[in-house]
Amino acid sequence: MARVPAGEAFSERQNDDIVRAIRLARKQADLPVSVYVGTLEGDPRDVAMLLHGALGEKAPESVLVAVDPGSRRLEIVTGRDVRRRLDDRSTGLAAMAMTSAFQGGDLSGGIANGIIALAEHAQTPRSLHTGAR
Amino acid sequence: MTALIIQAVQVVQAAQEYDDGEIPAEGISNVAVLLIFVGAPALLFLVIALLVMSPSMARGPRYRPGLGWWASPVWFNGPDDADAAVRHATPTTEGGGTSARW
Repeated sequence: MARVPAGEAFSERQNDDIVRAIRLARKQADLPVSVYVGTLEGDPRDVAMLLHGALGEKAPESVLVAVDPGSRRLEIVTGRDVRRRLDDRSTGLAAMAMTSAFQGGDLSGGIANGIIALAEHAQTPRSLHTGAR
Repeated sequence: MTALIIQAVQVVQAAQEYDDGEIPAEGISNVAVLLIFVGAPALLFLVIALLVMSPSMARGPRYRPGLGWWASPVWFNGPDDADAAVRHATPTTEGGGTSARW
């Protein structure tokens, strides 16, 4: 697990919730999720794509969840490879779950639930005839 | 009217006389009166107020939609050197995803 930068955005317990959700997504669905919480200056979609690109070589199989609480924007960016098992409809459903929690002022809970929703959608059913993925 | 006053004074005097076996204690000082009847309730008030307020104080400022954002950016599971990574990054183009607002 990569480092978690120090920031007063979340309390220790809220941090733990998000980290645990990320770990769960990795474990259950082999889904690398990265979460950015901060301002997305300029066009939020473009900034989120840039941040996703900044994930480097693991970007194609990573999901980036970018939350801008100030301007109330949520961007979910899926990489080229992960997009095959996590389509835009699934990310849309997860986004809806997240934003409804955000509306109630629950940032960390919404993020954690959203990550878990993403992981559930990304779980690939085990196919019997093709063997290992 | 005067008869009534005299009667009242007599009642008060009667009350000040001691019953058989009654041993008067010393009165308490003004400081003690203040401590017991003002200090103790005030202390109790403070303790309860503190108990009520402490959870939200420990939690820090709460996010309220529409009132802006105060914290520095946080990136979970992001690149090790975020600034450098963003500076040298090429935006993802073939990806998918969703935009949403609330």
